[in-house]
Amino acid sequence: MRVVVLLSAGRHPVSGRAILPPLEAQAIAMALALDPHCYGLHAGCTPDGVADAPGYGLPSLDLLTIDADVDPVPALAADLSKRKPDLIVAGRRGQGGNDTGLLPYALAEALHLPLLNDIVSAAQEDSDGMGRFEQALPKGAKRRVTMLLPAIVTVHPLAPAAAPFAYAKARRGTIEFREGPSGEAAPGLFETRSRRARPKLMRQADAESDGGGAAIIDPDPDDAARMIVDYLERLGVRRLRNEASRTTDHRD
Amino acid sequence: MGAAAYLSWLVVAMIGIAIFQIARRVLLWRRGRPAEVAWLAGLAALPRRYLVDVHHVVNRDRGASRMHVPVAGGLVAACVLSLAGLIPALTGSRPLWGLVFAGFSAMLIGAGLVTARRYPHKLPRLSAGRYQRLPVLLLAFAAGGAFTAGLTSIGDPLPPLSILTLFVAALGGIGLALEVARGPMRHALAGAFHLVAHPRPDRFGDGRDTALRTIDLDAPKLGVETPVDFPWNRLLGFDACVQCGRCEAACPAFAVGQPLSPKHLIADLARAQSGGDAPAYGGAPYPNARSVGGTGGPDRPIIGENAVIHPDTLWSCTTCRACVEECPMMIEHVDAIIDLRRFQTLELGAVPAKAVDPLDNLRGCDEQNGQPLAARADFAAGMGVPVIRDIGEADILLWLGQGAYDLRYQRTLRALIRLLQMADVDFAILGDEERDCGDLARRLGDEATFQRLALDNIAVLSGYRFKRILTADPHALHVLRNEYQGHGGHYEVIHHAALIAELLESGQLSVGARQDLSVTYHDPCYLGRYNGEFDAPRAVLDWIGVERREMTRSGRRAMCCGGGGGAPVTDIPGDTRIPDLRMAQAKDTDASIVAVACPGCTAMLEGVVGEVPEVRDVAELVLQAVEAGRVAAQPAAGSPPQRVTA
Repeated sequence: MRVVVLLSAGRHPVSGRAILPPLEAQAIAMALALDPHCYGLHAGCTPDGVADAPGYGLPSLDLLTIDADVDPVPALAADLSKRKPDLIVAGRRGQGGNDTGLLPYALAEALHLPLLNDIVSAAQEDSDGMGRFEQALPKGAKRRVTMLLPAIVTVHPLAPAAAPFAYAKARRGTIEFREGPSGEAAPGLFETRSRRARPKLMRQADAESDGGGAAIIDPDPDDAARMIVDYLERLGVRRLRNEASRTTDHRD
Repeated sequence: MGAAAYLSWLVVAMIGIAIFQIARRVLLWRRGRPAEVAWLAGLAALPRRYLVDVHHVVNRDRGASRMHVPVAGGLVAACVLSLAGLIPALTGSRPLWGLVFAGFSAMLIGAGLVTARRYPHKLPRLSAGRYQRLPVLLLAFAAGGAFTAGLTSIGDPLPPLSILTLFVAALGGIGLALEVARGPMRHALAGAFHLVAHPRPDRFGDGRDTALRTIDLDAPKLGVETPVDFPWNRLLGFDACVQCGRCEAACPAFAVGQPLSPKHLIADLARAQSGGDAPAYGGAPYPNARSVGGTGGPDRPIIGENAVIHPDTLWSCTTCRACVEECPMMIEHVDAIIDLRRFQTLELGAVPAKAVDPLDNLRGCDEQNGQPLAARADFAAGMGVPVIRDIGEADILLWLGQGAYDLRYQRTLRALIRLLQMADVDFAILGDEERDCGDLARRLGDEATFQRLALDNIAVLSGYRFKRILTADPHALHVLRNEYQGHGGHYEVIHHAALIAELLESGQLSVGARQDLSVTYHDPCYLGRYNGEFDAPRAVLDWIGVERREMTRSGRRAMCCGGGGGAPVTDIPGDTRIPDLRMAQAKDTDASIVAVACPGCTAMLEGVVGEVPEVRDVAELVLQAVEAGRVAAQPAAGSPPQRVTA
């Protein structure tokens, strides 16, 4: 069985450093069990992050060089349709880099392949090109799925652990750079917008401060406190004292 | 001329056999990697290394030195004097044979003491097997030689008896010479070579050399897989082992039933060189030994379930150096373990499952538990600790270390910071620019991550001006002081106990009345054995006026808390836990407090349950004393005493 692992340039959740996403290290372990000569595939402009993949035991790694803002799906689809692997293994979600987590689905659509998400184990059926998979379901349930290959699968974190990273393997690993097609820029699937509109209060505050506040250097603490309270009342953040008591009366 | 003349020829034959036997080992050593050895300096230093350094270690066990001095001294003296008998003018000299008689007699006394250590019951730490023959051979050679020489010196009154004693001497002598290849007598020749070509010549005399050696990450093979991957003088070192078992008696992992015995490990490494024809090991087995299926060989892997040494043995070590400290043959056990770990980690990625995450985190975000570097100083929020980036320079750079993320140790660090502020010390921290020092990565064999962290930290440190680095973490202290030197980082690093001692002596800190506490101080391995600092923490404790009690194992021979070398991370199971054992030793002193000076020791000893002494860092005890002093100094005007803040 010919297996390929799709690799993405992830980012470490704490440091933001380019790393291979842990889930894809698990994908490599799963692919190795099926095909000792499996290979990795990445489309991008630099090998940052994916260069770690040989350290997890990946025998070889192909890098399709494309410009930074180019959609990687056509490049990957062209390469995969040429090499026709039996199984394409991928991560299941974006890991902090320029990945969206949608790539396996876009690729399945482009290649007209079935996609099975969240698998925790994979084995090849002895007969006629079928694959047997275990799919993770919510609440720890698992489902056994047998399907016709070729197919795309995404790996779930409950899959067997990745092999520990070995520096010398990463150092010896070779990356084959191949020119990817010079496609168009990735389609703007989404409109970029801040998470929510700015709260009304802040806009008000901005408008107020436009008038020019006063900077008071080293004030007496009591004065400073009074000034802050006045300021907040002016903004409407803090209701005037008599107003507040009136509201309470009404409730009674 | 009597039978004694043949004694001379017997010694010549013994020397010939010994040379032949040791040559077989020399051929094995020569297959090791090359090593730089200062031969002339080593030869010149040999007498001093043997008579002073080795004797100093041997003499810690009085019984051993009382045994070894006559048996080795007598053997050498008797043999050299017998050789003098080859000079024709001296062959018939009765006084000469009288001297030879004296040499053999001394040896006979020693041989008797050797016998007493092994018969009727051997000391538990000694090896049996081939080693049980040694007293017999020594007695035969010494007694035979003494009688032969003695009879000759009084004119050989009974020639047949002389022949008989000569025969006994020959049996013993030849037997001893044959033992040079694989038996106990190997330690004599290999040990002498080892002293000359020692891989760490700086450790002799008053020197100390404990920093792990760096390796070239571009080398074709990283670390040690097979015996021939060791430098040749390390192979020689393994052969120097006489299986006295002092390392085993000192090893904390052995004591708690983890599958490690330094003696067994070194014997295995010596056996692995020659493969299948090595004699069986006669010492105590690894506790809870995991079975291994392989025979060794110069080109065969050492570590593995199908090799000579089980991986659990390798990962049980806390790198506490107790074995190295105890070894009279000056063998460097820890170096061997780290070299073997490096191959496992860097080449195979075969680290214990629990060590994977910490190493991944260190590679990914420079912190073993995956916490942001910016959170390191969170514990000191509100204390007004300056960050050096904002001020550019400070007298003292405070290296917070891993303990800053640990709730318990944060208390210690806060106490230290308050002491520094009370004493008006000009200090600053690195803030989010402080990465892990790399200690854990290096001890777990991940030299690549260590070197990256070291270079990054050195780059950061080179951007600021400071006089000294202060740290409360002896592991960071050791790495910053000794191991960054190999990568271009040279710093004056001071442990917090030493700085507090300075502040107390200079009067920048003053303490109140005598504290009514009994305290026992637990030496951190990386401060004590690794850096030779035993006095400052004790001086501090004396200064604040607590009653100080010593555990049986303290100072240079203190027992590890179990927290070093990545042992808490690899977590190899044993019968019990190392900190439990250490805490029991602390409890035996009846002290109410165990004083610690290391985040590792604090965490390990705090983890001991039951009725045990309280764990307090030296800094916490000093802060308590200083605050007590301030309260006492305040006018007692009926108002309740207040805590005085700096």
